[in-house]
Amino acid sequence: MRGRGGVAALPFPVIAMIGPSLVLAAFVVGYPLYEIVRLSLHEVSRFGMIRAFTGWGNFANVLADATFQASLWRTLIWTGFVVGGTMVISIPVAVVLNLDFAGRGLARTIVMLPWSVSLSMASIVWLWAFNADYGVVNTFLTAIGALPRGLAWMARPETAFPIEIAIGIVVSIPFTTTVLLGGLSSIPGDIYEAARIDGAGPWMQFRMLTLPLLKSFIGIAMILNMIHVFNSFPIIWIMTQGGPNDTTHILITYLYDLAFRLGRPGPAAAISLIMLVIVFSFTLLYLRMQGRERA
Amino acid sequence: MIDFKAAFRSWSRLGAVLGLAMAPLAAPAQADTVRVTVSYYSAATGPFFEKMAAEFAKANPGHEVKIEVVNWNALFQKLQTDISGNANSDISIIGTRWLLDFVRDDLVEPLDGYMNADFRNRFIGTFLNPSQIKAKTYGLPIAASARGLYYNKAMLTAAGFPTGPKTWDEVVAAAEKIKAAGGNGFGVQGKGTEVDVYLYYALWSYGGTVVSPDIKAAFNSPAGVKALTLYKSIVDRGLSQPGVTDYDRTDLQNLFKQGRLGMVITAPFLINQIAKEVPTLEYGIAPVPTGTTNATYAVTDSVVMFKNSKVKATAWKFLDFLFTAGPRIEFTKAEGFLPTTKAEAADPYFTGNERLQTFVNLLPNAHFAPTVTGWEDTAKAVTNAAQSVYLGSATPEAALKKAETEANAALGK
Repeated sequence: MRGRGGVAALPFPVIAMIGPSLVLAAFVVGYPLYEIVRLSLHEVSRFGMIRAFTGWGNFANVLADATFQASLWRTLIWTGFVVGGTMVISIPVAVVLNLDFAGRGLARTIVMLPWSVSLSMASIVWLWAFNADYGVVNTFLTAIGALPRGLAWMARPETAFPIEIAIGIVVSIPFTTTVLLGGLSSIPGDIYEAARIDGAGPWMQFRMLTLPLLKSFIGIAMILNMIHVFNSFPIIWIMTQGGPNDTTHILITYLYDLAFRLGRPGPAAAISLIMLVIVFSFTLLYLRMQGRERA
Repeated sequence: MIDFKAAFRSWSRLGAVLGLAMAPLAAPAQADTVRVTVSYYSAATGPFFEKMAAEFAKANPGHEVKIEVVNWNALFQKLQTDISGNANSDISIIGTRWLLDFVRDDLVEPLDGYMNADFRNRFIGTFLNPSQIKAKTYGLPIAASARGLYYNKAMLTAAGFPTGPKTWDEVVAAAEKIKAAGGNGFGVQGKGTEVDVYLYYALWSYGGTVVSPDIKAAFNSPAGVKALTLYKSIVDRGLSQPGVTDYDRTDLQNLFKQGRLGMVITAPFLINQIAKEVPTLEYGIAPVPTGTTNATYAVTDSVVMFKNSKVKATAWKFLDFLFTAGPRIEFTKAEGFLPTTKAEAADPYFTGNERLQTFVNLLPNAHFAPTVTGWEDTAKAVTNAAQSVYLGSATPEAALKKAETEANAALGK
């Protein structure tokens, strides 16, 4: 069945099957997008009343805003470190969990457990763990003599932001490990046997066989993590709310601060569109990688 | 083949059930449901309003009041979302300082038409003023509080100030002694809502103002610099709790309740919390320390009626009921607020309560948050300024100058 332009025309049952979900998706995605574009081009009161048309004014103000620039830069650091750290930890974890050893099921369950806790809950628990007065971290560090007295970890960006990154890594490991384990199980075992016969040691096997064969899975896990971490709100919002002095804001928390604390939906909508463009470019990258896989 | 008869039977049965279910809704001719959004002040808030709703329903058969309790931190966003979706309640508690934004978007109903002289006369002098904009009253003061200095009696007695410090010099002197004894002297709030207000206590006591009458930032003044320099030296010399930017108001109050903080400035509701949680704590309450003058911060929360309400008459009836002597006294007592009506102030609970009287006596010198647009932006700018100084990344002069520019970009716009 070929249409006039040489493009395959979809048979009616196919259209009937995907049609409703397409319409639904168009509405679910399209309507908010339309609203956000409209908000970003107007001066908007905090209750969503549209006032004057400002054209690109909101975008110009946002781009010139020092807090926005700092937050954008911090978002890149945040995404880079969380995703990078997650990959560096998850690859060996996945390789180990793929080995056959007694208690593997238990070990896999333990690694997956953090996934079952919501991000907000995990952040609250960690916030208490790092509490200056009664957190377990301070109690532990003072008990073993590493610190003379407890530190106020969340008081300064130099300590608060790295802690937030570390928590971001911890909560991203289960997903990433799952993807990588799936990849590892698709590698046939006999090639390792062949490599062993040819005299390749474990490190050599990892570098020459596992890593290249896992590459596409690593790529996909990275891109999906980038999209997710870039937009990740709960950890930073719950632990520091972007403070003190706006020094731990990433774009998504700054956007929320602008929209709901300062009551400026217009500039907030502009930021969300800028973020959309950034995430969309990640997505394009992902789609391209997927395409390459298929080809 | 479809069994039409069976289908018809089941449909008609469903219709009958639906009809029965609808019947009670249509019964009384004028049955209003008034939806009320209230903020969570304490565990007593929800039960109090539920009780009032039940009493109101009993006295006004057919009418119903539905209470929705919302956490204070989430209240503004909730209202914002509800209003954008045209799904807001009929009545809501709001921070009085937000009122102007509601009035600007024409969302709240002026209440003057509902109030008679008798009703107005229920309130204490100035408490209706903060919710009046352009000679119209948009809100009723449902909760009021002021700020005073709580001090730990044991720590302050050992430091030589058994009745609490009177001036900032005495605060510093006492904090030095407490520090030498290994304690935390004066609590400085560096996180969360009201970091700015914590600075204003000192600023006002040195005779400064936050916003000038022509609605320009006025905090970057000698008084402002003096206040921030004072706090900075308290922080830098270790006379406060360590890591001040990690402490919001609740954290400071907790530290005080645990007997690990010598002095903290906060609101009267801490009295109730201490009585419930640590009744053995020996503490006193003194006025906010003076620099060159006496000053405190007073806050009211208002209850407003939304313009799009379809049950305004009944809603007003409920408000009228809430502001009669019985409900007022019960509410203010349970929450630990200050009286806003004369009937409360005359109640023996308040006249005989020395600690609450300290706050009441401060009211003549109290500063209210001005009802101007851009107040939230000003608060944020000053909060950032204070935090950058506490973190050591800016001088008081530079930080306040930067905050002044930021605040002026939003004030009065």
